[in-house]
Amino acid sequence: MDGIFLQQLINGLTLGSVYGLIAIGYTMVYGIIGMINFAHGEVYMISAYLAAISLALLAYFGIESFPLLMLGTLIFTVVVTGVYGWTIERIAYKPLRNSTRLAPLISAIGISLILQNYAQISQGARQQGVPTLLEGAWRLEVGSGFVQLTYTKIFILVAAFVGMALLTYIIKFTKLGRMCRATQQDRKMASILGINTDRVISYVFIIGAVMAALAGVLITMNYGTFDFYAGFIIGIKAFTAAVLGGIGSLPGAMLGGIILGISESLFSGLINSDYKDVFSFSLLVMILIFRPQGLLGRPLVAKV
Amino acid sequence: MSQTFYKKGFLALAVATALGVSSYVQADIKIGVAGPMTGANAAFGEQYMKGAQAAADEINAKGGVNGEKIVLVKGDDACEPKQAVAVANRLVDQDKVAGVVGHFCSSSTIPASEVYADAGVIAITPGSTNPQVTERGLSAMFRMCGRDDQQGIVAGDYIVDVLKGKKVVVLHDKDTYGQGLADATKAQLTKRGVTPVLYEGLTRGEKDFSAIVTKIRAAGADVVYFGGLHPEAGPLVRQMREQGLKDVKFMSDDGIVTDELVTTAGGPQYVDGVYMTFGADPRLLPDSKTVVDAFRKAGTEPEGYTLYAYASVQALAAGFTGAKSNKGEDAAKWLKANPVKTVMGEKTWDAKGDLKVSDYVVYQWDKDGKYHQLEKQK
Amino acid sequence: MSAANNSAIDIKRSLIDAILAGLISLIVFGPIVGVVLDGYSFNLQPTRVAWLVAGVMAGRFLLSLFLQTEKGLSILQGFEGGGSGVHVLAPDYKSRLRWIIPMLIVIAIVFPFFANKYLLTVVILGLIYVLLGLGLNIVVGLAGLLDLGYVAFYAIGAYGLALGYQYLGLGFWTVLPLAAIAAAMAGCILGFPVLRMHGDYLAIVTLGFGEIIRLVLNNWLSFTGGPNGMPVPSPTFMGLEFGRRAKDGGVPFHEFFGIEYNPNLKFLFIYIVLFIVVMAVLYIKHRLTRMPVGRAWEALREDEIACRSMGLNHVLVKLSAFTLGASTAGLAGVFFASYQGFVNPSSFTFFESALILAIVVLGGMGSTVGVVIAAFVLTVAPELLRSFSEYRVLLFGVLMVLMMIWRPRGLIRISRTGVTPRKGVAP
Repeated sequence: MDGIFLQQLINGLTLGSVYGLIAIGYTMVYGIIGMINFAHGEVYMISAYLAAISLALLAYFGIESFPLLMLGTLIFTVVVTGVYGWTIERIAYKPLRNSTRLAPLISAIGISLILQNYAQISQGARQQGVPTLLEGAWRLEVGSGFVQLTYTKIFILVAAFVGMALLTYIIKFTKLGRMCRATQQDRKMASILGINTDRVISYVFIIGAVMAALAGVLITMNYGTFDFYAGFIIGIKAFTAAVLGGIGSLPGAMLGGIILGISESLFSGLINSDYKDVFSFSLLVMILIFRPQGLLGRPLVAKV
Repeated sequence: MSQTFYKKGFLALAVATALGVSSYVQADIKIGVAGPMTGANAAFGEQYMKGAQAAADEINAKGGVNGEKIVLVKGDDACEPKQAVAVANRLVDQDKVAGVVGHFCSSSTIPASEVYADAGVIAITPGSTNPQVTERGLSAMFRMCGRDDQQGIVAGDYIVDVLKGKKVVVLHDKDTYGQGLADATKAQLTKRGVTPVLYEGLTRGEKDFSAIVTKIRAAGADVVYFGGLHPEAGPLVRQMREQGLKDVKFMSDDGIVTDELVTTAGGPQYVDGVYMTFGADPRLLPDSKTVVDAFRKAGTEPEGYTLYAYASVQALAAGFTGAKSNKGEDAAKWLKANPVKTVMGEKTWDAKGDLKVSDYVVYQWDKDGKYHQLEKQK
Repeated sequence: MSAANNSAIDIKRSLIDAILAGLISLIVFGPIVGVVLDGYSFNLQPTRVAWLVAGVMAGRFLLSLFLQTEKGLSILQGFEGGGSGVHVLAPDYKSRLRWIIPMLIVIAIVFPFFANKYLLTVVILGLIYVLLGLGLNIVVGLAGLLDLGYVAFYAIGAYGLALGYQYLGLGFWTVLPLAAIAAAMAGCILGFPVLRMHGDYLAIVTLGFGEIIRLVLNNWLSFTGGPNGMPVPSPTFMGLEFGRRAKDGGVPFHEFFGIEYNPNLKFLFIYIVLFIVVMAVLYIKHRLTRMPVGRAWEALREDEIACRSMGLNHVLVKLSAFTLGASTAGLAGVFFASYQGFVNPSSFTFFESALILAIVVLGGMGSTVGVVIAAFVLTVAPELLRSFSEYRVLLFGVLMVLMMIWRPRGLIRISRTGVTPRKGVAP
């Protein structure tokens, strides 16, 4: 039955890479302003709507080739979701920049309620979906069994990897990335050195939203369906992934996502899917007890 | 100021007062429509409201109930028990409703029905199929739909007799409705000598069921039964087909009776061949033809629970008219004693408030994303 | 933006602001409001977008104009200022709020005579949240431990009553103290390993704990009834039931006292007991903050390292806050269960924790009166907003954001009366 086992691993890997993409939004925002952005899951949900809308519009204008559809949808979704990220930050978090740590948390919860109901009211309560774009699957015979992978899933893995690589490049090697890292390490110092930290924070929200948009397009393509409530569960899972990997650390977010995805998939595949969430949360608690800063997080240095 | 003008003015005033008084005497009879108007299941709340409104309009056009016009009061419970209790109290105390059509989720209907029972308000649910809704000895709680245990028997028998399932997988969504149904089906399957090879729950709101699908594959199942709603059923059946389980038959329940199933499954090609149990489609009944035509003329399709809500309002109105009283207890007594002609045909209720005749039948979806009632197999 | 450099109002700037806002709102609202998906196709709804964009532009224009006036500038500065820490009052300062509490008590006693059942239930729900808010206030507001899984203890209390009745035949009065103890023990067990963690890791672990409890309640079908939930007995008064007819041949309350049956009686009873409990908790909390342990909580919140170097046992201090907070939630759970007459896991989701946290933050971390007010605002507001039907939750969210922006430190800031050294004591 090794075919089955391998299949479960791959299931977990695709699920996990999607968690990872969303976890990046949590981890970057946390890293830079120390705030848990609870509205991030909802940003993903908005991007799923945008992806479906863009697909419907493009199909209406008669575009049928997959690469064109994909490119158009990606650009449209990324741009508009980025604007969403910026607007949310501007309205709900910026006025609270200098207040208690919990104030933006509450306003994030408010924003997530707003976005959910905004989507429901404007788009209706019904389940939404996109038609299947990439049909077909790739089958690999393994011993007595087989592993089947749809082309969409392969596309997801590749796109998530490319997205991550691109982001890592931006953060590591560009000026914007250096500014982000400087602001993350010491906001006051960075602003003394002439970095417009307010703007950097806005960029970080945009980057987070863009990654959520990428995830939104990929997930919408893969599962084909979503509704205005879709952001909640995936948001909590992604947040868990971010903490698991060490909140504030980019590779940690991806690693946390993949570990979470694989452990969920293996646990429900081998033992019982009823308790898979119990298992993943217990895993999180265990890891945090023995490694309080998460897997790849830097240990917190207390400053006196 | 001329004398005549003065007189006229006085006359007008008198008429206006008389009108005002008469409209005061002819008070309205309020009926609450409670269900998930917001939240993940808001689609069903919309169906309730649509059906109930149409029924109220029709009854009002014919003169109302005991000479009073029906006014609907919307109550949102978002399928949360806490909100259901709050909204039930509000409907009873603030809005002083005479009857309630609702709720949708059984987990909301059960606590809310206690409130209605305390206040002596008659309630009729168009969609809560959990047995517990009517099993607790409440005198004025009715159902317009069947019960899970009846539905489960039909589904279990069909899997054994027609689909010839040997290795059956039973899944549910860990919610009152889905799990109750899956349990009933499992019980019937076991009774018929087919023990499910896998019995598990998935999480509502999730979309990735690939792990469970792989497990179904590993179990070598030939029939999969899912107790739950369409947001999960669609992705589940799609992912089964995508992982190469083309020949495994998929059966579900009346929670997937909506055209949205096609959307959630990613296209009609994935729902092709899906079986489901549902009350005989009310849209196909001769009684409902005029109403259905009216809906379609107005540009909406009376799908899912729309006609159930319609019939519920009709039943309440019939109860009040028949009992010649707006008291819930009188109407309840009358409904239990007399048949009511509704848009869904003639209905009778037993002492518990359940429909005497349950009419669950099996449907199948076709490759165009429409569902059809299958001929009864004997 | 230190001072108004010119008093003239720059209309051009306002116009530019408005146009920019309009552009952004066009991008934001355009696709989602304007293109309504319908299966795989769509319907265009351009008028809705036009209205929204026009609304945003007009709003932005007026706001921009207003902020250029003297008054606007002063408000703007009010937002940016606002120091931190505890506000210290003059030694003999008498709070204006001291009249409010007796007044509230009087209102609370008179209230049931005028209320109908709906109002009564809303107020009971409000009081339950007051209790929850007070409990979480100890953990988050005073001790500074961010707990996102507080609802777990609430669930333990509620299920304690349901399970205790089902399996052990316990009633409301027995469970009330037991649930508090059980929740406190759960808090203790959870607290011990996790209190080592710092700030936000604690948040996620407690969140995980909350979810684990809920999932176990949902999945353990044979024991907890799973998603079907469990019935909860009505509370009794000296063994008298409040139902129309008593179960198992007892005498119902109204027959015993020879009064007419009134379905409100049960809620009235819950209200009275709950009110007494809330008052007791308020008093205990009030005293605790003035006791060494209360001072230690606040000190620990402000600076953990300093406290530890002063010899405070930080684990014990944190644990006491955690345990006390948990036991309060257990109490609230018992009331909630008997108020609803039924419990099921969907009442104990993460959203509930978030709501309680919102109460604490909105009330002003650590402030008792603030928490009471915020609890009522946040539980009564959704009920008041019911007439907006589908816009209800949207408006609730807007309310939350606006309140946070308006009062980021909560409705009532904690302040403490200062002390003057007694005469004759060396400084």
